[in-house]
Amino acid sequence: MKHSFVDRFAELESPLHLLDARTKLIGFIALAAAVLYIPPGNSVAFFAAFFLLAIFAGISQIPLPYIVGRTLVILPFVLLAALAAPWGGKDGWTRLAVLVLRSTLCLLVLILLTNTTRFVELLRGLRKLGCPRILVVNLSFLYRYIFVLSDEIMRMRQARDSRRVGRVAISTEMKTLGSMLGTLMVRSFERADRLYQAMVSRGFSGEFPVAAPRSFSWRDLAFIAVVALFIAATVYL
Amino acid sequence: MSDYAVRITRLNYSYPDGTRALENVDCDIRTGERVALVGPSGAGKSTLLLHLNGILKGSGTVRIMGQTVADGDLAFIRKQVGLMFQDPNDQLFCPTVQEDIAFGPLNLGVPAAEIPARVEKALRDVMLDHSYAGRTAHHLSHGERKRVALACVLAMEPSILALDEPASNLDPGTRRHLIELIAALPATLVLGTHDLEMAIDLCPRTIVMDGGKIRADGETRLLFADAELMAKHGLEVPLSLRGNHR
Repeated sequence: MKHSFVDRFAELESPLHLLDARTKLIGFIALAAAVLYIPPGNSVAFFAAFFLLAIFAGISQIPLPYIVGRTLVILPFVLLAALAAPWGGKDGWTRLAVLVLRSTLCLLVLILLTNTTRFVELLRGLRKLGCPRILVVNLSFLYRYIFVLSDEIMRMRQARDSRRVGRVAISTEMKTLGSMLGTLMVRSFERADRLYQAMVSRGFSGEFPVAAPRSFSWRDLAFIAVVALFIAATVYL
Repeated sequence: MSDYAVRITRLNYSYPDGTRALENVDCDIRTGERVALVGPSGAGKSTLLLHLNGILKGSGTVRIMGQTVADGDLAFIRKQVGLMFQDPNDQLFCPTVQEDIAFGPLNLGVPAAEIPARVEKALRDVMLDHSYAGRTAHHLSHGERKRVALACVLAMEPSILALDEPASNLDPGTRRHLIELIAALPATLVLGTHDLEMAIDLCPRTIVMDGGKIRADGETRLLFADAELMAKHGLEVPLSLRGNHR
């Protein structure tokens, strides 16, 4: 079945892709924080941030339509959240603009991060940066099973639709939805059970084994230097 | 080394909801023997397979390579018995194929330095090339997932393979491929399946189960040719054994 992956272009091999996941995690998160830090009046800084991200996007070889598309998909949510800003006292419209600008820039940061790093490496990076194991393991199960779950939902909807003819009362519709959700929960529960059996069958005893090396290079240093320079510039200029 | 890979005596098991799944099951499987486990759905095939490595524990005894399956020596048992599940989505839970294959050996205490070679070999065994190592399970087709699931089991180098419907939902080409692959393995084989032709190809001996009991145990071709026995247990004489079919 076809899925849209959060890390769709993570298999490319641009200089950004070759960086260590930890470098990108730290660099991009710092960049997002810096963007949030830019004061509303400083349009030069906003422009500079956009310019920097545009350069990264260019280097990353991720197709531009994809980046624009992804941003547009999430933008309505941002707008919805920002809608109240104009009524919040004076400079309302500026606040709205700044909110939208900041969110868009942060979105770009996230799109770049997730599409230049395979999800697996992102998880490994998080783990090496000291993120609790249980959290990382849960994220990895989430990434693995969200697609299995969405397949299951799709099959259930197909089964429902193929037995449904004509208009259905909203109450019936709700009832159907309720039982679908219930079934989904039971199925997930049973799958979790079988999954655990499969793990135990292969000798699992509560501790996840790990084996995977990867090291820093001059590229990581260069990336961090650029990001640090930018942050320093936005803070002092 | 024990003569018998598997010895089961008076095994009984009921599911927590009270369903009687196994009733007085007795069977011995010699080292190196290949045995098919057939019967209608709900006959108890999967339940029996889950007893082989101590996932389920009924009353009665199950001995693997001479050792009784009990809580004490489960690590040994799980090293001996490679269990492949029906649905590969249940079995492949790691972010990448490579990690999934490495999961078992790492748990068994295989040194990290030997892991890449194990992964490589397991992939070669199921005829997948090295490029699969870094891929994620949900990017794979069902047939590929089945093969990776088998690779996960093979990487643990078990002396007994317990496979639950390894060929279900596979296209004929991939199925044939899998049969040849399993045929080339030296391990003792317990094959739970509805695919009777596959049983004929792989297993000289067959055990027919129905309603949690063993109903027949003998030479595969002889049992499968017995139309009455087959019909009685929700099975049918495979096409290849019907004398003068069209």
